[in-house]
Amino acid sequence: MNEAGQTRRPGSRFHDLLFSQEGVLLVILVLSVLLLSTRTDVFLTVDNLLNQGRLLTEIGLLALPMTYIIITGGIDLSVGSIFGLSAIMLGHSWQNWGLPLEYAIFVALLTGVLCGLVNGLFIVRVGVPPLIMTLATLALFRGMALGISQGRSARGYPDWFLELGAGEFLGVPNQLWILVLAAVIAAFILARTVFGRSLYAIGNNELGARFSGIPVGRNKLLIYTFSGLMAGLGGYIFVSRVTTTRSDMGTGHELDVIAAVVLGGTSIFGGTGSIAGTMIGVVLIQLLKNGLALTGVTGDATIVVIGTVLIFAILVNNYVQRRRSGESGAGAA
Amino acid sequence: MSGRSEAGVASLQRVTPVRMALILISLVMLIAWAVLPWIHQPELGPTLARVIAAERSANELDIQRQGLSLPPIAALVALGVAFWSVLSPQLSRALALVMLVAGLLGLVYHVTFFVDLAESGRNELLGSMGAGFWLTLVAGVALMAQFALPRKVVPGHEINKVLGHQESVLALGILALVIVVGLLNPRYVADRNISEILQGNAYIAVAAIGVSMVIISGNIDISVGSLIGVLGIISGAMVVAGYPVWLSWLTPLVLGALVGSLIGFLVAWLRIPSIIVTLGMLSILKGGLLIFTNAEWITGMPTEYALSQQKPLGIPMGVYIMLVLTLIAAWWLRNSATGRAIYAVGGNAEAARLSGISERRIIMSVFIINGVFVGIASVMFATQLQVIQATVPPNLELVIITASVVGGVSILGGTGTVIGSTLAAILLNTIRSAMVFINVSPFWLQAVQGVLILATVLVDILRRRRQLT
Repeated sequence: MNEAGQTRRPGSRFHDLLFSQEGVLLVILVLSVLLLSTRTDVFLTVDNLLNQGRLLTEIGLLALPMTYIIITGGIDLSVGSIFGLSAIMLGHSWQNWGLPLEYAIFVALLTGVLCGLVNGLFIVRVGVPPLIMTLATLALFRGMALGISQGRSARGYPDWFLELGAGEFLGVPNQLWILVLAAVIAAFILARTVFGRSLYAIGNNELGARFSGIPVGRNKLLIYTFSGLMAGLGGYIFVSRVTTTRSDMGTGHELDVIAAVVLGGTSIFGGTGSIAGTMIGVVLIQLLKNGLALTGVTGDATIVVIGTVLIFAILVNNYVQRRRSGESGAGAA
Repeated sequence: MSGRSEAGVASLQRVTPVRMALILISLVMLIAWAVLPWIHQPELGPTLARVIAAERSANELDIQRQGLSLPPIAALVALGVAFWSVLSPQLSRALALVMLVAGLLGLVYHVTFFVDLAESGRNELLGSMGAGFWLTLVAGVALMAQFALPRKVVPGHEINKVLGHQESVLALGILALVIVVGLLNPRYVADRNISEILQGNAYIAVAAIGVSMVIISGNIDISVGSLIGVLGIISGAMVVAGYPVWLSWLTPLVLGALVGSLIGFLVAWLRIPSIIVTLGMLSILKGGLLIFTNAEWITGMPTEYALSQQKPLGIPMGVYIMLVLTLIAAWWLRNSATGRAIYAVGGNAEAARLSGISERRIIMSVFIINGVFVGIASVMFATQLQVIQATVPPNLELVIITASVVGGVSILGGTGTVIGSTLAAILLNTIRSAMVFINVSPFWLQAVQGVLILATVLVDILRRRRQLT
């Protein structure tokens, strides 16, 4: 790091910013928006963009804690399943247990928290590797959602419940406010609090973090539980948007979320990453999907594009990072 | 020997009042739950199964079930105790004994239920049992397993060593399941069903061989499910388009190796983590498949193409392929230089590099081999039915990775065998089939798989801790 400081040229602050993962991504984002807007008139309109904001909220909410988790070197594959289980518990507790809908919402959030807590407890206390633990709960929670609902869907929600998913406040979709607020808070916590900085420390060197007095176990437990909570909230917002509950909701969300986070510059090995990058990743993926769909590409082809963009972005990032470390290495020599 | 008794004393001291209280509470709960229904309504006779079998009024059943609302709580407490004991590094024998008793108590209830059920001949009643019933069954077995688990391996006790292997645990599990379900429903052990159980997951077992190697080398492949779908469709499309059958069988293998070498190149040379590469590959393949097929199914394959439906000597072809490939792969992994190198790279990449193993070459070959196995699996998958679906079977990669992990392949790399993964693939299908025969809603299957992975991992961690202490 010191060496990098010595080789810093005038104006390299801009250089740094541009060649940070966020910078590279932002350039890709702007380029693709420009490219897509030349292909169709509908794409670059306020209405369309706001509508896309509505659609990306759930993924965005899941991506916030996922950023935390991946920064600590962990992973949570079960978010999509928690998402589905929470949605099912919402519908099930309302229609089958006869709870008031307000309580059912609470049940959904609580389900998310509990699921996240289970993940966290096993990972922290028992020492199960996160990949395995959440792989197991990916199957377990989805299985519970299927078993509890027996494959049936719940519908017939009242209007006030659907307001969150369909309504808007000051011209902006309701859920987008929630996402923006959550993202700002999450970014602040990650960048400016002791807790947030400790996540980087854990990701860089867990043993070192432990020896320097960081409550590693507690912090990890918190972020996995936070992940569950966000999945529960996402499930609730999703049900409110699509007005029905099905047990396969959120299938594959974990991959979309991880793709967005990794695209946003968070290293899968931990130690680096930012909420801003993640949010750009989320937006980029959603706009690519939408833009391509509007230009007449079928939905299936957009999955291909996203997969390619993911690998390509990592390649570019690797290349840029290696060049930078090469520079600083040369500076040291 | 003296060291052992010392450890025993030390761990006995660890039984604090709080822990003791926890154990007592769970015991009281279990006893209460076993006894309560009969206190409620003594005239109903000995067991719940008899009550339901007699088709008493709904009111009586409600009361009976009230007594049964305790099992979930009891089971959860018991499970809590079991898990907490995992947390403490040393589990004293006294503690294990208490758990054995608790587990036995729980099982006694289930056994009497099963016996009554068999007498009444109304097996479909099992399907009407709530989650609590199954939860307690699992809890009972888990508690028993606490005791039965291999402790520190004493030299000279070969039986301990054998029981300590994941493969023997799996084989015993399959055997126990077949016996229990076979007693409940004799049709389960009919030849037809047994061969169906073996055949049904054969392609998953074959794919799991490749994935196991990938995981042993310290990587992961989550794109296998999509790749099986894509290669299966290509194979089917080729034969329908009039290419010779042997070419349609062979092409997926070659294409699988090509995709594998691409993944291997990205992982080994460009240093992108395998989870990211295969995540991207998953999207590309899945989307590509849908574009390619327009979601239309492929039909009209010639009969000689249907590899999986052939039955030499009355045994399905898939079973032969699975067995032969498993044995070859197991032998190769164990005895060849490359096979050992895969373990070395997964166990300690730095040490492997220092001892002259080319990590890149090993990772590259592991992914290529994986591609070939996936290619074989895709042909087996495509020829199972008269049609090939245009969509990737959902969660296929999950089932394959589950087979590897439950088979004892550590996700951290460096350990595991393909015999274990094949046994696990068979076990998964044994469970699925058992659920059908005892009338449990198939919707619970995935939850069972999750519990299975979890149980495997916990047992693995527990076993390692015991071997360390």
